Amino acid sequence: MNIDYSRELPVIQGRLSLAEIENLIAKPLDEKPDKKFLIALSISLSLLFIGVLSVGYLFYKGTGIWGLNQPVGWAFDITNFVFWVGIGHAGTLISAILFLLRQKWRTAIARFAEAMTIFAVMCAGIFPIIHTGRPWLAGYLLPYPNQHHLWVNFTSPLVWDVFAVSTYFTVSLVFWYIGLIPDFAVLRDRTVSKIKKVIYSIFSMGWRNSHRNWQHYEKSYMLLAGFATPLVLSVHTIVSFDFAVSIIPGWHTTIFPPYFVAGAIFSGFAMVVTVMIFVRKIFDLENIITVNHLEKMNKVILATGMMVGYAYAMEFFIAWYSGNPFEQFVFINRALGPYAWAYWIMVSCNVISPQIFWFRKLRRSIPVMLVVVILVNVGMWFERFVITVTSLHRDFLPSSWGYFVPTIFDIGTLLGSFGLFFTLVILFTKTLPVVSISEIKAVAEGAQPSHQGGEH
Amino acid sequence: MNRSDKKYGIAALFNSPDDIIQAAKKVTEEGYTKYDVHTPYPVHGMDKAMSLKPSKLGFITLVFGLAGAAIALLFMFWAMSIYYPMIIGGKPFFALPAFIPVTFEVTVLLATLSTVIGMITFFFKYPDQKHPLHDTEYMKKVSVDKFGVCIEVDDPLFNEEKITELFKGLNSESIQTIFHPVEEKQTVLEPKFLGFLAAVAIVVSFGTYVALNKILYTVPFNWMMEQPRVDVQSKSEFFTDGFGMRTPVEGSVARGFIPYEYKGMNEPTVPLSNPLKPTKEVFELGKKKYLSFCSPCHGNYGDGDSRLGENFPKPPSLHSAKAREWKDGNLYHIIVNGQNVMPSYETQLTRDERWAIVYHIRALQKAKNATEQEIQLVKKESVENAK
Amino acid sequence: MQNNNSYIKKDLPLDLRNLGFTLFVGGIILGVITFFLDETRAIFNYLLSFVFIVSIVVGCLFLVALEYVAGADWSTPIRRVSEFISSFIPLLVIIVIPLLFTMHDLFHWTHEEAVESDKILQGKSPYLNTEFFIIRTVLFLVIWNLFYFLIIRNSRKQDKTGDQSLTKKNIIYSAIFIPMFAITITFFSIDWMMSLEPHWFSTIFGVYFFAGSVVGALAAVTLATVLLKEKGYLHPKMVDDHYYSLGALLFAFINFWGYIAFSQYLLIWYANLPEETFWFLARWEGGWIFMSIFLIIIHFVVPYSLLLSQQAKMNPKRLKFVSVWILFAHLIDLYWLIMPQMHSEKSGYFYTILEFAFPIAAIGGLILVFFFNSKKQNLVPVGDPKLDRGLNFRL
Repeated sequence: MNIDYSRELPVIQGRLSLAEIENLIAKPLDEKPDKKFLIALSISLSLLFIGVLSVGYLFYKGTGIWGLNQPVGWAFDITNFVFWVGIGHAGTLISAILFLLRQKWRTAIARFAEAMTIFAVMCAGIFPIIHTGRPWLAGYLLPYPNQHHLWVNFTSPLVWDVFAVSTYFTVSLVFWYIGLIPDFAVLRDRTVSKIKKVIYSIFSMGWRNSHRNWQHYEKSYMLLAGFATPLVLSVHTIVSFDFAVSIIPGWHTTIFPPYFVAGAIFSGFAMVVTVMIFVRKIFDLENIITVNHLEKMNKVILATGMMVGYAYAMEFFIAWYSGNPFEQFVFINRALGPYAWAYWIMVSCNVISPQIFWFRKLRRSIPVMLVVVILVNVGMWFERFVITVTSLHRDFLPSSWGYFVPTIFDIGTLLGSFGLFFTLVILFTKTLPVVSISEIKAVAEGAQPSHQGGEH
Repeated sequence: MNRSDKKYGIAALFNSPDDIIQAAKKVTEEGYTKYDVHTPYPVHGMDKAMSLKPSKLGFITLVFGLAGAAIALLFMFWAMSIYYPMIIGGKPFFALPAFIPVTFEVTVLLATLSTVIGMITFFFKYPDQKHPLHDTEYMKKVSVDKFGVCIEVDDPLFNEEKITELFKGLNSESIQTIFHPVEEKQTVLEPKFLGFLAAVAIVVSFGTYVALNKILYTVPFNWMMEQPRVDVQSKSEFFTDGFGMRTPVEGSVARGFIPYEYKGMNEPTVPLSNPLKPTKEVFELGKKKYLSFCSPCHGNYGDGDSRLGENFPKPPSLHSAKAREWKDGNLYHIIVNGQNVMPSYETQLTRDERWAIVYHIRALQKAKNATEQEIQLVKKESVENAK
Repeated sequence: MQNNNSYIKKDLPLDLRNLGFTLFVGGIILGVITFFLDETRAIFNYLLSFVFIVSIVVGCLFLVALEYVAGADWSTPIRRVSEFISSFIPLLVIIVIPLLFTMHDLFHWTHEEAVESDKILQGKSPYLNTEFFIIRTVLFLVIWNLFYFLIIRNSRKQDKTGDQSLTKKNIIYSAIFIPMFAITITFFSIDWMMSLEPHWFSTIFGVYFFAGSVVGALAAVTLATVLLKEKGYLHPKMVDDHYYSLGALLFAFINFWGYIAFSQYLLIWYANLPEETFWFLARWEGGWIFMSIFLIIIHFVVPYSLLLSQQAKMNPKRLKFVSVWILFAHLIDLYWLIMPQMHSEKSGYFYTILEFAFPIAAIGGLILVFFFNSKKQNLVPVGDPKLDRGLNFRL
């Protein structure tokens, strides 16, 4: 199939008018939930319920119900934390970084991706809190004046995490909300329900589509995007510092920051594609979230997957090059030791499966890409698991070696986090427009003046 | 909302982005200043068409961002280097590389929050639910897919016919007059709002009370409150006599305490000699301790003139020939063991302090029994030292 | 087929060629003088200039490939600038030769007595031995040259034919080149710079060099673009908006470099393992402490502030100044990486005026290569299907 490189691909297919676009996106919000919605919600709520039970029992009995013990002091808790934070990064990347790179195709998926970021960060934030011995004292993590004259240890990466994740959550929420203000105004102006009108009015704050406001709005959007970009890099960098500032072989290696960031984008995009495949079908948004969008995301998945593969190779090579026997052992142990099964799942899912996306036909095939992105999600979870557990279970002293086995509560908590995430996503689809109405109108064909305002 | 008769402005709708750009340019050219353009999304080139000056929002961001960096760094410097410095991981108190991540996050947080709040409150002056344009047909159409211009009555050049002509000439789809809403007293809302506030206050305070006074005392939050340790002056079920507080076990030795080998004997079996050097500090120490512990009975100068009053037996003078002939070790032995009425001072003085007292006693003895030459020598030396 | 009549090919002025010759020949002569005055220092300087050129020219090829793979159109009107700079790549084969003969002066691990008494070096000797080292360098040069010829040849052919299948082919070549670039540039930096201190290692080193190279390449492209546009050699339809993207990319990669540099430092500082920290300590002793602080200021703090505002990113004067500044900063970055390993018995100072000899020759060489390319080739890819869209790019 020959592509004409001189033409820009239309962002929206099917030549929809602005009013049609608005209807398409806003309609599900007016309709009552249908059977499919309720079935999906009940599944995710059941998963969430399993999670609530597991966490409730955890609060009651303590972290002993998990499989953690010496020497493996971190396992599912940190793995899940890093996993969910990583998924959150795709959202900010799509909304902020692709905005700065002026990639118009991001518009169709930006709103959903940002929502996913916020929900993913919420899921992630649960784990550092519940994995402590007395989670109800989580407030101690924040610097506040107290009678012990104690402040938090600002040089500890765990405290950096507190600042990073909470800043990330706040900024993402604010960025998302700013994007929603014009949409709330649209909903306010078209709704017939009195209660909804009041709610939308409050949230839209009185937005009246004035261009004088749009001018400041665009500036703030650009500034927020400009800040969100280094923020997202910094958050996963700081998460990687949790491991890399230690002296444990397999953890202490300088490439962790960019490696983790690339991995986060990799897993995040895979999750976005997974969700998008279903959303566009269920909500009839196939002309707005097109196969071109999915293909572009798959290209990003391929690229970041290769960055992750590069990092694996570099770690391995430098471990040999360093001549440090402990470092060398870690990598041999990963590939051939008791956790080899996890290691090879990781490698095949992360390095091998995305290679399918070299081929255009396969990049654009929905069944193929669904399989690949699910494998990538699995593989990325295992990557965090392998990093955390293999370095801990066999470090310097053989007499301290052990083997970690997850308990039913570890798994229940993981399932619960998925339940929380999907519940929030499903509820989101019924309460807020899944595509940014005003942004997508702005990139429809004929939406902008034809005569580009002259030379500067 | 209900409309009054007071006019707000004249508004015109247009169908395409090209039309609205043209309209905006024309309105600006004609000299109108109090007007606005309304579009469902930002239209490229509108800033130029309306001759708008660039937004100053960036300054807020810059100022607050830098402030955030400064606040974070200064606070960490104060908390970690001045207020409660601790050596953590062998790093210096002001560990700048380790302070960078938090500084960065706080910078971003303050910069973004200030931008958004500044924009909403200062530039937009939101929330504003009462604006005349709300709920008009004009705004509803603009919300969907139309573009509009509205010139306000307050504009100095406002003239209804001229403006209508202008809009007709610009190919507008429809022209309408916007009226101010009726000034509702909003009495309906007041008690409701107050009621809402009251409800919030009650819920929050009740919730806080229950959380802090009740929930925190239930399982599992109270687990650390009841501990099986024995508190001061409390009963214990473990010991048969019921006492929680115990004396140390027989043979316990306090930290830093070395038991005296010759305790209870008349004399040390091996003659002890003073291990301390006769330095000025040692003599000072000896004098100090003597005055504290020995002088109540032996007097300030060792004469035995006890300060404890008439009914207390006076110890023999330390300047007797017997006392002067005693070896240092004997004096030490007496201090540690006690003798007759004098109790043992083993637990009140460390070994060094005891030997220092011995020096002091010797000094007192010398002073009381010095020969004339020795006194002259000391006098000469002290005059020389004073120079 | 989009043949844009508004671009007229003008020859670059002979003054430029003369400048190039002067710098190149003058630099070489000064370099030879340096060699006789202080052999070790001269050899290390030659290595520094070699690495500097590689980082810029291969970095420019990366930028070309990136444009194809990302489908960017704003850079199409100026892609030839990157292509011309990257046309130094075939010449790398020649200028690497003196280095292959001076390996003994550069690399501690070539000293057999040292390896015999050092278990760690023995462990690395399957990788760090002269034969394999040379094979690797040859391999890198072959790969870079191969992709240079494949991609650039198609780009030039397209000027005449406007054939869109050439774009398609170039996208495929570029997509294959980028991972190969990542690996070759990593091992190139490990071989020629990290192994100068064979006991030290860092997994992020390749990424660090990559960041610096892209910054340097972008600075070179920006400088050349602004100068050429001002003198009217580029397409007349170009506007300041095109500068904005260059300025924004420059800003972004300055941040990226700072981030990578800080990560490397923070992790090694925090863990405080002597087997890693000694490398940084060598750059904190004596006069090197000033160089380290100087590097942070000139490579990050200053360019960051100068490019922060939106206006600054579009302003040609600012961009010219910052590009020159960054090229100098990049040179200092490589200097800071390489020179602390130089232990010359002759000169005690850690830099002298002769330090600039070979870099001057390098700049002269780049100018000459650019000049000679422009004689035969268009400075604008007139046959590229994305050219029109690229020229119409507005913020």
